[in-house]
Amino acid sequence: MSKSVDKKTPCQNSILDTLKKATTRNSDWPDKDEFLDVIYWARQILGLIAGLLWGLLPLKGLFGLGLFLVLNAVSLYAYFTNFQQIDEEEFGGAWELTKEGFVTSLAGFLVMWIIVYSGMHFD
Amino acid sequence: MWSDTFLIVFISICTALLGEGLTWLLVYRTEKYQKLKVEIEKSSKKLEKRKEAHGDSVDKQQKKKIERVEEKLKINNRDLSMVKMKSMFAIGFAFTALLSMFNSIFDGRVVARLPFTPIPWVQGLSHRNLPGDNYTECSFIFLYILCTMSIRQNIQKLLGFAPSRMANKQSGGLFGPQPQQFK
Repeated sequence: MSKSVDKKTPCQNSILDTLKKATTRNSDWPDKDEFLDVIYWARQILGLIAGLLWGLLPLKGLFGLGLFLVLNAVSLYAYFTNFQQIDEEEFGGAWELTKEGFVTSLAGFLVMWIIVYSGMHFD
Repeated sequence: MWSDTFLIVFISICTALLGEGLTWLLVYRTEKYQKLKVEIEKSSKKLEKRKEAHGDSVDKQQKKKIERVEEKLKINNRDLSMVKMKSMFAIGFAFTALLSMFNSIFDGRVVARLPFTPIPWVQGLSHRNLPGDNYTECSFIFLYILCTMSIRQNIQKLLGFAPSRMANKQSGGLFGPQPQQFK
């Protein structure tokens, strides 16, 4: 058992460890950057999944855009306050955590939404 | 429409990789850049620690020390921008040429349909060089910019080329706080 663990590269280990911590309630995050990375990538994945769903349904207009912005902010806020229960002030307040990767995730969401919407409903 | 949109995503992945590759060649691998990066990281950490420990104190000596580190950080950040500048110019020229080539290939072509009507000041971009006034039609440039916004940042992050948060915070990014001046 221990041999298989030894074989893993440090990078693999750290990604798996981070994933485990991210999915465990009230994990301890001594490295702030690690937690901010989790928030960043969670946002990117959320953006792509939401874009795919919005395109398939399809959701349109300001409602679709607004819904994504609210979902993005609220779900991640719920994740770090309720699930991980971190002290926001340690990270410079809720605003710092909310803006982490927000613009990039919005761009990813828009690309996915536009591509799936155009591909599925127009030709 | 699938083929056009996928082609644009592919183009932006390629240009993002090309941009990062060129920057690596001209900047990231140079000793000067690496030295400056380490230095900035170190002084950012030092500054944060000092501010946390003595942020509210009125001790003049501590204030002076903090100011000194801040000054050093500012100089290092300026040097780093200078190092990056030359590659920015090279990449800027290369990309302007590439973009004008793609623009002429996709000229007047509706590459996608937007699920929303963009606000008027975005319409100039989203409906660039397209005939008619159906503003849900999307031009190449709009989709390309969105793709690049998302892909380039993520590639930088994956490759570890993104500037560290701490250095960004201390040097005051676009939305970040400016370095605090002590009274």
